[in-house]
Amino acid sequence: MDGLSNLPIDELRHAAPEATPLAEAMLALVRMKVREARDASGQEWSHFAMRGNDSLVDAAMMQDVERRVLASGYRFDWSAAVSVGENPAIYKPGPDADGQGDAFMFEHPDAPTGEPDADGKALCGVGDNVVRHPANVTGTARYIRSNERVMQYLTDGVPPGTIAVIDDSGGTLTAPIIDQFAGVICAGGTVRSHLGILSREYNIPCLMNAKVTGIRDGDTVTIEATADAKTAEDYQDKVERTGRVWRTVGDAA
Amino acid sequence: MTGMTGRETVLHGTALKRNSTAAEIAGIIGMPVAAVEAELAAAVATGRVMANADRFMVAPLTDVTLRARYPQVFSALRGDPGFVQPYEAFERVNVTLKQVITDWQTMTVGGKAVANDHSDEDYDADVIDRLGAVHEQVEPILARLAAKLPRLKIYSEKLLEALEKSEDGDHEWVSDIRRESYHTVWFELHEDLLRIMGREREE
Repeated sequence: MDGLSNLPIDELRHAAPEATPLAEAMLALVRMKVREARDASGQEWSHFAMRGNDSLVDAAMMQDVERRVLASGYRFDWSAAVSVGENPAIYKPGPDADGQGDAFMFEHPDAPTGEPDADGKALCGVGDNVVRHPANVTGTARYIRSNERVMQYLTDGVPPGTIAVIDDSGGTLTAPIIDQFAGVICAGGTVRSHLGILSREYNIPCLMNAKVTGIRDGDTVTIEATADAKTAEDYQDKVERTGRVWRTVGDAA
Repeated sequence: MTGMTGRETVLHGTALKRNSTAAEIAGIIGMPVAAVEAELAAAVATGRVMANADRFMVAPLTDVTLRARYPQVFSALRGDPGFVQPYEAFERVNVTLKQVITDWQTMTVGGKAVANDHSDEDYDADVIDRLGAVHEQVEPILARLAAKLPRLKIYSEKLLEALEKSEDGDHEWVSDIRRESYHTVWFELHEDLLRIMGREREE
């Protein structure tokens, strides 16, 4: 039997695409899950559809469907305010929300932290500097986690002084706008990652493999771009060579 | 193998070549520009693709749909050692490529990595030689991949073009992001292969 074979419903290829992107994504995910369950069961489709599916297609699979949709940044519309009140994480913000609805932040357990200095700068993490710059850079932290935000920046331009905080070391989200950032803090990768290569190409201060904690969207942060860059030998010899990140706190912010 | 519809191929190409024009997307998937433009217009009208002037990006949910479709449309390739083996070989060469590009952008002076200002012609020539060596390694790999999925041939042609321009002294073709430089094409090829195989980028 060939794996991941067609379900009868897959033969409806001549039909027009579903009316909305959400319907199409949901259907594609459900079909994927059903195919996986059918293939894992080793049953013929007719048998699976008639008898096997009520035990093999379970709630956890459908919860994973919802998880994947939400992971894309999508939030469901709500028709009764009680829905968003009870489960704000999965719905579009209600009328009382600030419209941002995103208190997300990286909280790396190994991020070094410190008390604020005289300028109100508190150490909140470190990362591998991709190349040494003549000066440190300070700007406004913005988490870039959704296509919508990238699209908004593409259309309206990235506000000057924006420091992107991201976890996508491939730069798949940020590549189209990376040249407009004042700096980049990336929670993954190494200085040889695609994103490291892009940031050097544009001469933008960038820390990779960053361990940071407590940075909220909109915070003022400083990247130690003057730190020595991490070299191939450093990675090989497991030498810790990092640049620091500070968050401006209190009245200085 | 089920394969992709024309619509899916255009959406796949748009996901690979982010924020690009219809002509650039058509160039990477090997479809006529007019056909790509028609699919993109329909996709924008139904919220599948976002348009910014003449450039396009897939909507987040469209990427979810594509990734849900990949296991089916690429199931034959994922199970074919004749495709998986050269893919694994590509991943090994990829490590070298990233180091070569990093060495193009940085030099080690006194034990410290500093930006390469391209004033040392010998250093640059050496890096471009190493890029040529990477290309010699990857060409047979790409030929084996394209034997199973013919549209991948396009990457071979684009890589060779960028390499030749680099070797002829037009150094922007090594890693410039605003053109189909060697690194740009390589990145898109890698992204294509990762999606085909259902793998995640390692760093």
